[in-house]
Amino acid sequence: MSTAPATVDGPLITADGIPLKESLQKSLRRSKIRAVLLVAPPLLFLIFLFIIPIGNMLTRSVDDKLINEVFPNTFEAFEAWDKVSEPSEEMFAAVYQDLKAASKTEIGKSSVRMNYAKPGWRSLIKVTARKIKKMEPPYKEAFLKAEGRWADTEFWLSLGIMKDKRTMGYYLNAVDRTYDFDKNVIHVDENRKVYNLLWWRTIQVSIIVTLACLLLAYPVSYLLATLPMRIANLLMICVLMPFWTSLLVRIVAWMIMLQQNGVVNDTLVAAGILSDENRLAMMYNFNGTVIVMTQILLPFMILPIFSVMKTIPPSYMKAAQNLGATPTLAFIRVYMPQTIPGIGAGCILVFIVAIGYYITPELVGGKDGRLIGNMVAYHMQRSLNWGLAAAMGTILLIVILVLYWIYDKIIGIDNMKMG
Amino acid sequence: MALPIYTTPGQRVWHYCYMAFCVFVLFFLVAPLVAVIPLSFTSSPFLNFTPEMLALDPDAFSIRWYKSLFGMCADVEDVASTMCHNKWMTGAGRSLYYAVISTVLATFLGTLAALGLSNEHMPAKRAIMALMISPLIVPLIITAAGMAFFFAKINLSNTDAGIILAYTILGMPFVVITVTSTLVGFDRSLMRAGANLGGTPTYNFFKIQMPLIAPGMISGALFAFITAFDEIVIILFIGGPQQHTLPRQMWSGIRQEISPTILAAATILVLFSVLLLTTLELLRRRSERLRGITPH
Amino acid sequence: MKITLKQTLLASVVAVTTAAQAEVNVVSWGGAYTASQQKAYQETYKDPDSINFINYNGGLGEVRTQVESGNVTWDIVDVLPSEARVGCDEGLFEELDRSAFKPAADGTSMDDDIMVEVPNDCVVPQIFWSYVPFYQEGTFSGAQPTTIADFFNVKKFPGKRGIHTWPNALIEMALLADGVAIKDVYKVMSTDAGIDRAFEMLDKIKDHSVFWSSGAKPLELVQSGEVAMSLAYNGRIGAAVLSEGAKFVTVWDGQVLEEEWLVMVKGAPNRDEAMDFLIHASTPESQAGQAKFINYGPMRASAFEIMKAGEPWFHNGKNIMEHMPNRPEVMARSVIANPDWWADYGDSISERYTAWMGQ
Repeated sequence: MSTAPATVDGPLITADGIPLKESLQKSLRRSKIRAVLLVAPPLLFLIFLFIIPIGNMLTRSVDDKLINEVFPNTFEAFEAWDKVSEPSEEMFAAVYQDLKAASKTEIGKSSVRMNYAKPGWRSLIKVTARKIKKMEPPYKEAFLKAEGRWADTEFWLSLGIMKDKRTMGYYLNAVDRTYDFDKNVIHVDENRKVYNLLWWRTIQVSIIVTLACLLLAYPVSYLLATLPMRIANLLMICVLMPFWTSLLVRIVAWMIMLQQNGVVNDTLVAAGILSDENRLAMMYNFNGTVIVMTQILLPFMILPIFSVMKTIPPSYMKAAQNLGATPTLAFIRVYMPQTIPGIGAGCILVFIVAIGYYITPELVGGKDGRLIGNMVAYHMQRSLNWGLAAAMGTILLIVILVLYWIYDKIIGIDNMKMG
Repeated sequence: MALPIYTTPGQRVWHYCYMAFCVFVLFFLVAPLVAVIPLSFTSSPFLNFTPEMLALDPDAFSIRWYKSLFGMCADVEDVASTMCHNKWMTGAGRSLYYAVISTVLATFLGTLAALGLSNEHMPAKRAIMALMISPLIVPLIITAAGMAFFFAKINLSNTDAGIILAYTILGMPFVVITVTSTLVGFDRSLMRAGANLGGTPTYNFFKIQMPLIAPGMISGALFAFITAFDEIVIILFIGGPQQHTLPRQMWSGIRQEISPTILAAATILVLFSVLLLTTLELLRRRSERLRGITPH
Repeated sequence: MKITLKQTLLASVVAVTTAAQAEVNVVSWGGAYTASQQKAYQETYKDPDSINFINYNGGLGEVRTQVESGNVTWDIVDVLPSEARVGCDEGLFEELDRSAFKPAADGTSMDDDIMVEVPNDCVVPQIFWSYVPFYQEGTFSGAQPTTIADFFNVKKFPGKRGIHTWPNALIEMALLADGVAIKDVYKVMSTDAGIDRAFEMLDKIKDHSVFWSSGAKPLELVQSGEVAMSLAYNGRIGAAVLSEGAKFVTVWDGQVLEEEWLVMVKGAPNRDEAMDFLIHASTPESQAGQAKFINYGPMRASAFEIMKAGEPWFHNGKNIMEHMPNRPEVMARSVIANPDWWADYGDSISERYTAWMGQ
C-alpha cells in the first residue's frame, strides 16, 4: 500500500502517488490535446481549400504587377517624360524593347489591362505587336507607320494610371469612380454609372426580401408553434419541402407560375380580374427576383422564429391575460419581445444569403433584377476583368462578414439550427 | 385550433383572416412545385397549361418528355430531339457520384470537428466554430471565384477530385452544426462511466457516443448530400466538360431552350426531395426517442 | 533486355492510353446548333465515334486555364469572332497549315473562298449568324415593316419590341436606323457623339422594350404576342419557320452578321486527329451539309453554289436559301460585326448599356 493518507496540510494525492492538482492538469492537457487533434484535420482542410483560395483571389483586387513586369522600360521612359512634349524616340524604343521581349500571352493580358485605363489600347498593342518583328529604328517613325494612334498623347498619359504595382483602381471602378491621368479620383461619366446603382439595388432587394420573409414567416411560425405537434409536423413538411428541392427546380417552377402566359396570369385573366392585354409582368424583372428569392429564403426565416417560439411557454400569455391584458396587448407586450432573438437570427440569415445571390437573379432577373453577384460572375467569366470582380467580391465579403460577426455576437454561431 | 365558444365576432373574423393568411403562405411555398408535376405530362412543347390540358383531354397528355429525359430518343418526335440525349442520365450519375463521396468526406471531417469543438477544454472554440461554418455564409459566387483561380494553379480545376474537395468544404458546416447540436444534450458522465467500467476510449466512442450522435451525423450528411447533389455555382466555375452534372444540364436547359424535359426532371427531383424529407423526419423522431425527449 | 522490356511496357501503356484518349473533344454551344454540326460533320466523318461534342457557354476563360496549366483536354472549340482573334494573338490556339485545307471545286484556296477577310492562321471557317428583326404574320395591318428604321419606329409600327440585354449589334442597328451608311457605321461608333446618337435612337424604343437574354425567348415573346417585333438570332427564327411551321417574317435589313470560327486549342491532346476533323468539317460539301439542318450561312462561297444547285436543300424538303443571312442580296444590306472595335470599346459600351437598361 503505497498510497499516502491525505493529510489536512499536505497536497491531495491520487492513487498513483501524483498530486491531484498535477494529475488533473495532466488530464486537462490531454483532453485539450485530444480536442485540438480532432479539430486540426478539418480545420487545415478548410484553411487550405477555402480560406487560402479566397484570400488569394482578394489580392487580385489590388494587383497591378503584370503590366509593370511586361513593360519595365516603357514605364521608366514614361517617368522621364515631361508629360507635355511629344513622345520621344526613347519612349518608342522602350516600348519596342518591351514588346519584343514579352511573350504573346503576356502582351495579350497586358493589353486587356491597358484597355481598362483607356479604351483602344487593346487593338493598338495588338496591331503593333503583330508588326514588331519587322520594325527597325527609328522606332517612332516605325510605330506611327504601324498605327497612327501612337501620336495620340492620351495613350501615353494613361500609363500614369498603371505605373504602380498596387492599385486601388478596381475598388474605385466598383463604386463608379476612376483615376484621371494624374491619378486623381474622379467620377466616371454619368451615363456609365452602373455599380452604385447595382449596390443600391442589391441592398434594396435584400431588405425587401428580408421584410417580406419576416411578414410571411411570423404568422406561420406562430401557427406551427401553437398547433398540436402532429399537425404542426405535417405543415412543417410544406415549409421544408422547398428547402429540400433543387434550387433550379424551384426557379423553373416559378417561371411557369409567373411568366406572361404563366399559371398566375392565366388564372387572373380567366377569372376576369385582368384583361388579356394587361397581364402582369412578374418574371424577368425586379419583381421576379424579389418573389422568387422570397420563396426560396422563407424557410430560413421560419425555422429560427419557429424554434424560438417553441420555447416560449403558453402560460405567459395566459398569465398576462389573467392580469387583465387584452389578447392583442398580451401578444404585443409579452409574446413578441420574447421572439426577438428568432426574428434577429432569421433576418440576418436571410439578408446575408440574399445579398450574395447569383443564380436566381441570373435566371429570372431580366433587365432590372440583377444584383452585384451577377456582376461579379460577369467579370469573372465574360469580360475577364478579374481585378474588378475581386474588388466587388471583397466589398461584398466585408459586408457579409460584418453581419456574420453581429450574428455571432447576438445569437451565437453554435445556436444555428438546421431542419 | 378550434375557437372557444366565447370569442367575439371580431375575434372570429380576425382568426379566419389569420388562418387564410397562413394557408396562403404555405400555398406560396408549395404551389409552384406542385404545378410542375401535371405540366411535365404535357404533350405540347410549351411550358404553359393548354386549354386542352385544362379540359383533361387525354391527347393533351403524354410521357414523351420522360422518354426524352431517360434518353429513349428513338420514340421522341422532332421538336424534342435536340433536347434528347443521355446527358440527363449521365449527369444524374455524376451528381450522385460527387455527392456520395463528398458527403462521406464531409461527414467524417465535420464529425471530427464537432467532437473537438464540443470539448470544453478546446481553445479558441468560438473563432474556430465561426470559421468552420463560414462556407455557409460566404456567397457561393465568391467561393467559386476563389476556387476557380486557386484550383487552376494547383491543377485541380476540371478534375473530379477538385469538385469533390470543393463539395466537401460546402458540406462540412452542416455536419458540424448538426453533430454539435446532438452533443449539446450529451451527458459526459456516460463516457466517464464507460471508462470506469474499463472501456478503452475508442470502444467507448463507438459504443456510447456514436449511437447518440448518429442521428446528427446522418441528418448532417443528408444536408451535405443535397447540397452537393444540387450544386450549380461551383460546378460552373471549376468544372470542365467532363464534370457534367445534373444541375449543369438543367442550367443549360433553362438558359438555352426551355423544354418540358426540364419539368420531367423537376418532377422526379421533387419526389426525391419528399423522400429525403421523410427520411429526415423519421431520423429526428428516433433521435428524440434516444435522447429521451418525447413529443408532447 | 531490361531496357527493351521497359520500353515495350512503356510503349504498350502509351498505346493503351492513346487508344483510350483518341476521342477528339469538340466544344460548341449545344442545342440545335451542335446537333447540326454533329449531323453534318460527325456523322459524315470517317470515324464518327472518335468525335465527342461538348457544350460550353462561350468565353476564353476555360481555354486559357487549360493552356496555362498545361492540362489541355479540349481539342477544337467553336468561337466567336473576338475570341478567335484574342485567342490567336495570345497564343491560345494552334496556327494551322493553310495549305492542308481543301480548295473549292474551281481551285480557289480555302482562305480566298471565305466570304470575309481571314483574321489569322488559327481559324477554320464555320458559319455566319446574325441578329435580325422579325415579327409574326398578321401583327401589322396595312404596311409591313421592311427596314431597320421601322424596328425603331414605334409610331408607325406600334407594339413592344424585344431586344437583348447586351449592346452588341444594337448600337450598329440604332445608327443604321438613324441613317448612317453601312460602311460608316464603325467610324461613327468610334466617336463619343456617335455613341450618343445610337443611345438617342435606343431611347425611342426603351419604354416599349422587353429584354431577353436566352436565344429561345424572343420566339416565345413574338409567338405569344407579348411583343410586336423582336430581334433574334436568325437561326432560331429559321428553325421555327422551317421545322415547326411558325408564321414568322424576317426583316432582312440592317442585320448585324457575326462570324463563327473553329479553332484548335494550343497543345491539343489529339492534334493530328483534330486537324483531320477540321479539314473534313471545312470542306465546301460539309459546310453546305450543315445548312441542311440549320439556317446559318456557310462561310465558304463555294458551299453556296452547292446549296443553290441542290434546292430544296433543307432536310425536310423546304427551300433554305431565303433564310440564309449571308446570301448576296442580303449581304449588301448588312453590317459585319467588327470584333476589333468591340474588343476596344466593348467594356465601356457594356457599362453604359447596362446603366441605360437599368435606369
